[in-house]
Amino acid sequence: MVTAYVMVKANTGEADRLKNAILDLDGVVDAHIVAGDVDIVTKLDVDSPGDVKAIAADGIQGIQGVEDTHTYIAME
Amino acid sequence: MILVEANAEKADRARTDDFEVVEGDGSREPVLEQADLATADAVGALTGDLNVNFAACMVGKHYGARTVLRIDEDYREDIYRKFASDVDEVVYPERLGAIGAKNALLGGNVRAIADIAQNLQVVELTITDESPMKGYSISELSLPADSRVLAFGKEGSPMGIPLPDDSLAVGDRLAVLADFDVLEDVRQILVGDTSRATADAMQGGT
Repeated sequence: MVTAYVMVKANTGEADRLKNAILDLDGVVDAHIVAGDVDIVTKLDVDSPGDVKAIAADGIQGIQGVEDTHTYIAME
Repeated sequence: MILVEANAEKADRARTDDFEVVEGDGSREPVLEQADLATADAVGALTGDLNVNFAACMVGKHYGARTVLRIDEDYREDIYRKFASDVDEVVYPERLGAIGAKNALLGGNVRAIADIAQNLQVVELTITDESPMKGYSISELSLPADSRVLAFGKEGSPMGIPLPDDSLAVGDRLAVLADFDVLEDVRQILVGDTSRATADAMQGGT
């Protein structure tokens, strides 16, 4: 089991739409709109590090309005 | 007004200019308390760090102050208006700078005054020799539906409330609130066709 956090920076004011699109992805267990440098923090629970890449790179980055992501894999 | 400044050099400079300064991190309640937060009418969270600004607004709201939060990117305006209930007002200072820069570059007879909403702008237009409405009165003026004349000023006089009998002469100015879609029509009606390039630049937004 791999847990990871993905920081999402948007380039649109439609934060609700982004959050819902992210929550619809398989492997995403939580997402919050946050104050600060990034706009949404997403938590993933998946089987392998490869799944993390698939969700962050293909899933989240593929949503229109996502400018950038930073992924942090939990070590414990 | 009391400034809260984390940088010692900047704090010194502000003191030299006779500002009252509290030195410290504006996102921390004890620091803000030193600035008489309990009696403050408003807290302006204007640093370059959104997390600091948001924290300062939350603290300010807790003390019953009006709160103003500076954002660093304009797309975030809607997000903070919607989700940050501790924030009374969101400001994006760069927008004002962009309007100023745009007007300086354009010069001439069309001047952006303010962005009211994403698609709504107030512009000041000056009547030229080529203006189709030159010599007519304000009551004879027919502008597109999505636009309104807000103010009128004769050449060299301050702007005032527009009256139906005011006549439009060369050099007179009108402040018009208009949707971006009809801004070009408004410009053609009031300024005339000569400044095509000006209008194209104006439509480019801020």
